[in-house]
Amino acid sequence: MHHFVPDFDRDDDYVNSSSLNLPRKSITTMGGDDDNDLMELLWHNGQVVVHNQRLHHHNKKPSSSPPKMFHPPPPPMQQQQQPSDQNLFIHEDEMTSWLHYPLRDDNDDFCSDLLFSSVSAAPTAPCVTADRPMTSQAVTTARPPVAERQMTSQAVTAERPPVAERQMTSQEVATAKPSLPRPPVRNFMNFSRLRGDFTNGRGESGQPSVSKAVVRESTQVNTFAAAAKPPAVVAGDSALLRRTDGTEKCSAVAGGGLDLKGKAVATMTTTPTIEILGTSTSIMSKREIGPEKTIVDERKRKEREAIDEAECRNENEETKQGRGSTKRTRAAEVHNLSERKRRDRINERMKALQELIPRCNKSDKASMLDEAIEYMKSLQLQIQMMSMGCGVMPMMYPGMQQYMAMGMGMGMNQPLPPPSFMPFPNMLPAQRPLPTQTQPMGGASVFPAPQYPVHPSDPSRLYTQNQQCNPTLSQPPQYPSYMDPYQQFRGVHPSQPPPFQNQATSYPSSSRASSSKESVDQENHTKG
Amino acid sequence: MSGRRSRSRQSSGTSRISEDQINDLILKLQQLLPELRDSRRSDKVSAARVLQDTCNYIRNLHREVDDLSERLSELLANTDTAQAALIRSLLTQ
Repeated sequence: MHHFVPDFDRDDDYVNSSSLNLPRKSITTMGGDDDNDLMELLWHNGQVVVHNQRLHHHNKKPSSSPPKMFHPPPPPMQQQQQPSDQNLFIHEDEMTSWLHYPLRDDNDDFCSDLLFSSVSAAPTAPCVTADRPMTSQAVTTARPPVAERQMTSQAVTAERPPVAERQMTSQEVATAKPSLPRPPVRNFMNFSRLRGDFTNGRGESGQPSVSKAVVRESTQVNTFAAAAKPPAVVAGDSALLRRTDGTEKCSAVAGGGLDLKGKAVATMTTTPTIEILGTSTSIMSKREIGPEKTIVDERKRKEREAIDEAECRNENEETKQGRGSTKRTRAAEVHNLSERKRRDRINERMKALQELIPRCNKSDKASMLDEAIEYMKSLQLQIQMMSMGCGVMPMMYPGMQQYMAMGMGMGMNQPLPPPSFMPFPNMLPAQRPLPTQTQPMGGASVFPAPQYPVHPSDPSRLYTQNQQCNPTLSQPPQYPSYMDPYQQFRGVHPSQPPPFQNQATSYPSSSRASSSKESVDQENHTKG
Repeated sequence: MSGRRSRSRQSSGTSRISEDQINDLILKLQQLLPELRDSRRSDKVSAARVLQDTCNYIRNLHREVDDLSERLSELLANTDTAQAALIRSLLTQ
């Protein structure tokens, strides 16, 4: 970035003052200013920064007046550039990161095409046409300094090599950082190429060629950067003549005059840039305090700003898309969509679950799930207990003898089931093997599959339910010898044995809903 | 820019943590569900499915509890006090 900025600034400076950095620096404190100007260009991504710069420009106006005396054009530059120095340094790293993105999207080439057409149409003086009036004005208004400028231009010619180097660097930068607005990059490249030609031709042909080169450069610079301040002056009378020719040529292309530039800018830049242009114009109009030159320069600068902003827009767009992650972002969007759907579904069910869980005021998902788990466990336990109670209950019902018979069979097969869980085979699938174990005795066939919910109003169902629930509980009374493992049950229900016994003995009369098979089994068991 | 990136990363990290936590809980929940307990090894069940089944299972449990309590109350009403006391002691065990 640093490379880029300084180069650009130098180009402008060169155009403006027709002198290299050294003379310009000695004349004014432009060094930092140039950087600022570049900063403005590059860092226009953030609009805030741009605004600040403008504000700074306003503030800085008075200070820039002194340099005007020597160099009419430089003052505005100073105004622009000085304030933004801090911004430059602050955003440097980010800028570099952006610049390194190799985005060669052709979307933003609309400006470049325009610029290129103009450039290619009349490479020598095409842009000059647009600048012509301005340059002429500058010449007329700032005639005295022309001589000095010519001098400076000579100095520039003497110092040409460094310029070429800078151009090279700028080119390199442009190639390395294509993320910068498209048009500018290309412009710069042309720029550099022309300069290189210029340097070569200068070395061969000498001064005249140098003036040509200067004119070319200035024109290009003007068209591209819209900074058309003193280049014409620097070029001198010959340059003026050339420019007039160029204007004739370019008139077809651009139409002629500063307004042409503005038009070109408007056409090139998108609507937002046009808006920006308007704002910049307003600012500029406020700033129009200095002489005509400054006004002209401001106009030019305005245009350049507009172009820069357009470039920045492009850059913004590019940087947004151009993180090289367009595909990724698209995939991420799709993923986000599906993920959101999934989340919505989960949240919906979470809400349903929350409604099912009493006293669950937790908004946190994790705690809510915790609560749900605990609640489910407690529910399962409760059902265990209740079914146990239901299992205990049937003992008091008539027809218990069947269970007792079955329990006897089970007890014979499997004397030591875990007492606490035995009564609830349906509740704990791990205990499921119990019925199969009792099968050999013939009692297992009686066990139906656990069926919940059972309507208590249906006696037969209740009966079957009871059957399921407590095959072992009915065991103890009839066969105390097998009941040792179930001592706890006996202890818990001291009053149970008598009813069982009674029921067993009175089985035929009391059986309500027993099936014939069950009765047979029971008889067998009792016999056995 | 970098701040935004780091922020998003951070938020995703925190959400990842809670996501893991929730995944664990959902796995636990799944193991409490008789229908999904067996399919746990074969394939991963989506969280939405687990939650849906959990809701259904809890509804079933509620119904079961209601039925059982109804039946129990019925039984208790039909039995003498001694046995009712016995059952109550069993239930409050």
